[in-house]
Amino acid sequence: MSQYGFYFDKEKCVGCRACEVACQIWNESVQTVKWRNVAMAVEGTYPQIVSVNVSLACMHCGDAPCKKACPRSAITKDEETGRVTVNQELCVGCMLCLWACPFGAPQMGIHGRMEKCTFCEDRPMGLKRACEEICPTQAIVSGEIEMLANFSKHNVGNRLMHDENPGVILGHEGD
Amino acid sequence: MSQTNTREIINDIRGTKAVPGVCIVCPWHCPTEVFVRDDKVVWVRGNENAPNATTRCVKGVSSIHLSRDPDRLLHPMKKDKNGNFKAISWDDAFSYIAEKLQEIKEKHGPEAVAYLWHLDSNEMFSQQLFSQLYGTPNWSGHGAACDQSRRLAGIITYGHPLPTKDYENSRFIMLWGEDPLGPNQSLHENRELVEALKRNAKLVVVDPYRSRTAEKAHVWLPINPGTDGALALAMAYRIVESGKYDADFCENYIYGFEVFAEHLRSNGYTPQWAEGITGIKAETIIELADEFAETKPAIMDGLKGIVNYSNGFQSLRAIFTLNAITANIDGPGCLILKEAGPLAPPLLIPEEDVAIPERPIISAEMGYPLAPDIPSQLFPKAVLEGDPYPLKALFFHIVNPAMSDPNTALFKKMMAALDLSVTIDVYMSETAQLSDIVLPEASMFERAEVRESLWSGPQVIMAQPAIACLGDSKPLYEIMKGLAEKMGYGKYFEWNTWQDWAKVATANLPVSFEELKEKGVWHGELRYHKYLEEGFMTSTGRIEIYSEVLPEYGYDPMPTFDESGRAKPDQEYPFQLINGKLQYHCGTHTQNNPYLMAIEGENWAQLSTQDARRLGIEDGDRIELTSPVGRVEISVRIVEGLKDGIVRVVHGHGFGRTMGSIARGKGTHVNPIFDSQVNHICGGIGYNECKVSVRKVG
Repeated sequence: MSQYGFYFDKEKCVGCRACEVACQIWNESVQTVKWRNVAMAVEGTYPQIVSVNVSLACMHCGDAPCKKACPRSAITKDEETGRVTVNQELCVGCMLCLWACPFGAPQMGIHGRMEKCTFCEDRPMGLKRACEEICPTQAIVSGEIEMLANFSKHNVGNRLMHDENPGVILGHEGD
Repeated sequence: MSQTNTREIINDIRGTKAVPGVCIVCPWHCPTEVFVRDDKVVWVRGNENAPNATTRCVKGVSSIHLSRDPDRLLHPMKKDKNGNFKAISWDDAFSYIAEKLQEIKEKHGPEAVAYLWHLDSNEMFSQQLFSQLYGTPNWSGHGAACDQSRRLAGIITYGHPLPTKDYENSRFIMLWGEDPLGPNQSLHENRELVEALKRNAKLVVVDPYRSRTAEKAHVWLPINPGTDGALALAMAYRIVESGKYDADFCENYIYGFEVFAEHLRSNGYTPQWAEGITGIKAETIIELADEFAETKPAIMDGLKGIVNYSNGFQSLRAIFTLNAITANIDGPGCLILKEAGPLAPPLLIPEEDVAIPERPIISAEMGYPLAPDIPSQLFPKAVLEGDPYPLKALFFHIVNPAMSDPNTALFKKMMAALDLSVTIDVYMSETAQLSDIVLPEASMFERAEVRESLWSGPQVIMAQPAIACLGDSKPLYEIMKGLAEKMGYGKYFEWNTWQDWAKVATANLPVSFEELKEKGVWHGELRYHKYLEEGFMTSTGRIEIYSEVLPEYGYDPMPTFDESGRAKPDQEYPFQLINGKLQYHCGTHTQNNPYLMAIEGENWAQLSTQDARRLGIEDGDRIELTSPVGRVEISVRIVEGLKDGIVRVVHGHGFGRTMGSIARGKGTHVNPIFDSQVNHICGGIGYNECKVSVRKVG
């Protein structure tokens, strides 16, 4: 079994919400429901202000709290990919998944039934997800968790390589 | 994570056919792929053969609605005696227009007709018909409302109208009144910008508003509105005085460096002088000037926040000069003097048949001989007062000056006085409603376009029709062909399908028509430092800090700082009004899009926290903005990232119109408070030359 997931780079995200719309269009979800959401937080006072944009969808958690919370066993975790999906036929819209999810991913859709990111179910693994395909700055990256962890390390390493006054010196072996 | 040719995978999943296209929502024209099933667009994304790859901005991905919007124009229409639109046939529409045009030509000459357009390369057909055959000199883009100052500053300084950016290799990037990451620009440039920041390139943003790009900047300089020129000149002063300029480059490739150095000294353009004007500390100016001069390669550029001021042209000249004296031009990591691909005109009109206009373009007689596009805000003067000469007919193609130009009341008066007014558009725009004839154009999903892209090297896009035209709508090239036939110029438009003319247009490209059609883009080699062999396209072949052209027309040959045209706040109107664009909308034609309207359904005026508190205004309150020429009521958004004493508005909303069921009644049309200001030299619209008072309503 493998676990697929998303890597998100807040430094690259410009808060444009193209991922939200891409998700809606590809997955033909109704417009009042957003499987992917961009949140923006601003702090500080003029002119010292900091802000951050975060694009969030279902994390397809390894140990999904929504799955445990669902009294109808409507939520399953795919053995092969780690996708967390909901069977809407079984869902009764009790919203316990919504209470359990730390990220607010479950959305109440048509007929009050839960729906959320399916990790673009019909896209074969290896192809970018719809949000990722569209993201202008490529702040969203999908893939196997191990690969994403490496990708993240590589990014940090790259940063140090270009830092003229690094606070850390990386040791290395050999030449 | 690299992916190549994923088009077929998507076609397999969705049972679609992918058709290369181009996005014309904004002027950056990113190449696209349109996935179609049963004549319906089901998915859109960027063209993976192009530098933007599969990415789209939020407006681009939302544009899919345009292919299925029931509110679109579907039939040609003509106003009856009571002012109501009635559907007519294309044949009747063409006959009526051709007849009127003949009458006007006989009575007033062809120059009494002006054709205003926006950003579509199919405009070459209207150019041939109106300019080359009918013979009016007044065929013009709508740049007066846009980048006019930058274009002219580029032409005068570098001999190039549209320098692009090589962020990828840049180490110091300073953007003035430019927000690429917000309202968006070329997608590949934006991606390269954030990637450059990852590699520790430094980003400085000069803007009184903390824009999306300013959010990512290492240094945000909230400057006093309209004083960018002073800051740029003070930086130049420091670089020249400290000897940090590139002496070799200045000697060999710049015209007028020595006189410019003297000009800086004699005018006293010192950092201390600029501090008092810009509100930016002299020590900060010195520090930034030093860092910029010492960090190579670097980019200095500016856009909307500069061009909307009366002195925008000279400010941009000063900004462009900074690139020049540090040798940051046309190299990796610099502004690039973009090369175009070898596109040919789709049809050639024999030289002896090309009409030679008897009168010059109207902007020259309006007093703006160097304006790249006609200052369209002066059309009412020409129509209503015959100044400088009478205009009797106006054509508007995908431009909507009733919404985008200042002084809406005057515009309406002008429209009523015309002998003929024709709007070619996808929607029943505000301008269309004021016209006699409205012609429905096919959307970008339904027509072909062959054009140069805005990539830094030569790149040609070949967009193709993905679905059938909605209703009776037609692509512009077919509209021009139909009209040409009625006007007696049919023999010049002898092609049957778009492929016929596209083959002619792309004949010189080193790629087969079939391959271009398949990929949708072709790109050549991105060459750097072209000036080493070819020089610059200015009159002296060098970068002209001292312009040989400007003094011929009585303008200052060197970048200066001039506040004489500024509308400065006073006791009666204590706030400076500045303009911005929304990240989620473009101009006046995305307000009927349900995806975008769900994100941002109205426009608003922004006030700083301090100012709002002082005036007892809370977020979401309604306020009245009053300028010397008009007043509007609008909702308030209070923001931390805005300098005090400023009201920032975004335009484009506020349609009371029949354009679309989603757009109707949402937001506020702010343009009635703008005066018809004309920017010095370039003729652009001075939207930001506006002072207002603020009053809470209710």
